[in-house]
Amino acid sequence: MKKLCQAIILLCLTLTALQLPASACAEELALQPVPDRSPTSRALLFGVGRTNQFDTYLSPMEYTGLQVSFLTQSERMTRLADYHVSFQSTLQGAFTSTENPAASANYLGGRLAYDAGWHYHYSPLPGLGLKGGMLAGTDLGFLYNSRNGNNPAQGRFSLDVSLSAGADYSFYVPLGRKGGSPCRLPMRLAYQADLPVLGMMFCPEFGETYYEISQRGVGHDIICAHPGNSLSLRQLLTVDFCMKRTVLRIGYLCDVRQSNARSLRYHDVSHSFMLGFVRHFQLMKRK
Amino acid sequence: MKRLFSVIAILLAVLTACQQSEYEYDDTPQGNLDALWTLIDQRYCFLTYKEEQLGFSWADIRAKYSARLNPGMSRVQLFEVLCQMLSELRDGHVNLLTSLDLGRNWSWKEDYPLNLDVELRQQYLGTDYHIGSGLRYTILPDNVAYVVYESFSDAIGEGNLEDMLLYLRLCNGMILDIRGNGGGELTNVERLSRRFTNEETLVGYVCHKTGTGHDDFSEPRPEYVAPARGVRWQKPVVLLTNRSCYSAANTFVRNMKEMPLVFVLGDQTGGGSGMPLSSELPIGWSVRFSASPSFDARMQHTEFGIEPDRYAFLDEALAAQGKDSMIEEARRLISDGMTH
Repeated sequence: MKKLCQAIILLCLTLTALQLPASACAEELALQPVPDRSPTSRALLFGVGRTNQFDTYLSPMEYTGLQVSFLTQSERMTRLADYHVSFQSTLQGAFTSTENPAASANYLGGRLAYDAGWHYHYSPLPGLGLKGGMLAGTDLGFLYNSRNGNNPAQGRFSLDVSLSAGADYSFYVPLGRKGGSPCRLPMRLAYQADLPVLGMMFCPEFGETYYEISQRGVGHDIICAHPGNSLSLRQLLTVDFCMKRTVLRIGYLCDVRQSNARSLRYHDVSHSFMLGFVRHFQLMKRK
Repeated sequence: MKRLFSVIAILLAVLTACQQSEYEYDDTPQGNLDALWTLIDQRYCFLTYKEEQLGFSWADIRAKYSARLNPGMSRVQLFEVLCQMLSELRDGHVNLLTSLDLGRNWSWKEDYPLNLDVELRQQYLGTDYHIGSGLRYTILPDNVAYVVYESFSDAIGEGNLEDMLLYLRLCNGMILDIRGNGGGELTNVERLSRRFTNEETLVGYVCHKTGTGHDDFSEPRPEYVAPARGVRWQKPVVLLTNRSCYSAANTFVRNMKEMPLVFVLGDQTGGGSGMPLSSELPIGWSVRFSASPSFDARMQHTEFGIEPDRYAFLDEALAAQGKDSMIEEARRLISDGMTH
């Protein structure tokens, strides 16, 4: 497991390093400004972390283990409200391998989530930005238990609308002096939380078997989702800093997916260290 | 700035802590027994029925078997106590799967005569019988088709059935021998059943648990067998059964009892009408249990088996002479036109 973690971290670092000029050094960092509030930014992050999975359709035990993930996020300022509204889209994928406390069975899981929506931006203080908005998204996934007989896997599907809020703060970290002038490393701290508030999700009935699901169809098993039966939350805390012409991003992703419906309980809680890079650019219209 | 960090830190702590706390049983003998007892109490689908039929109280079972535990007992001892507790249910679909052993109660077949001599059956098949995936078949000298299907886990394709029925089409009738068939996949049950009806036939009902209460069930949903598109058997069928016909084989017998040209001969089936699901205990052992009950076309349980249209048993004296009395009786029924 440790070797796998090391390999994944190495992979992330390699992928990130490919975006960096080989000559990047600390002195040069100070010369680069932070592209703050550029019209469009795109980030690609890779992550590794721990996850805790629980699904009473498959087992009453909590399974824990490794998660590897990726997250791509695109944010573009629009003309709405005098350029105070941005459009954001996020694609998140994860693969998990977990085992039960007795280490006698394991889950393999996969998940792909996409959401998109708008945020209104407000800046109460220089360097500080706040935003709030709504996202609409879908989440697809599965959890496979290597040992179960007639209920070896559980599928996940949801469509939902989320409330989203975030803050960012740009600042400089002094790095001493170079050639008589102060050398500073520009950084940007950002936080965003997304809370699904209404939607629909797939949830079989308590003792419903695959045989019955296949006979009846899944229509009966699509139910309304709200914080009362599926309190979920995704939080992403990131720090951006420049290295030569590349903006690196490191972060912490806490993703809590839960449901408690039809006497079945489920959760998938992951904490991941994320590493990647950000591209800031402006789209130009062809004349 | 410090305030901002403080707010974010508090927010992270609070929102991350909103995860529900889950499992409440420890990996101790008592914790494992409680977990198993609760699993059966909440998810086992025949609890009320078994309490009525077998005369036990599941609530009392917990105290009865908890008294047999002690904190220092070995895994083997714990396994024995838990198996004894599960045996109260007398259900072949309830198992404790461990590296030590497979915990089981097979009284549904072990308490009864087998009524099957495999070598004798092989003599009827001979050596030049046909094999169509899981099906073995031949034509007996009196022009009766003899088909053996030993496990519904053995896949049968539509092509196998098509070819088999075409080959046997000139026979006077069919003996379908599923003695010893311990079940398998319901898709094979449906595929085979469809060859014996010309119209959509109600064969039973199925439901599932909708909550943790003993009687929390969904509305029973009718199950129909629709006729197959290809070749369908239009002549008498004698279905041979014994106590080892269990689970999917039991469902097949349930289906075939509703077919117009089918006569069930032999011993009562073993039962096993609950669709099993899996779960586990804190110690890591896997548990299988009946989760979804099915009923016959009159909404009666078939968990303890299905009675044949006529009882027949293997005659040891005839067996010693190389005759399977059950097959012989089936041949007589077909030749005399007595299947109905």
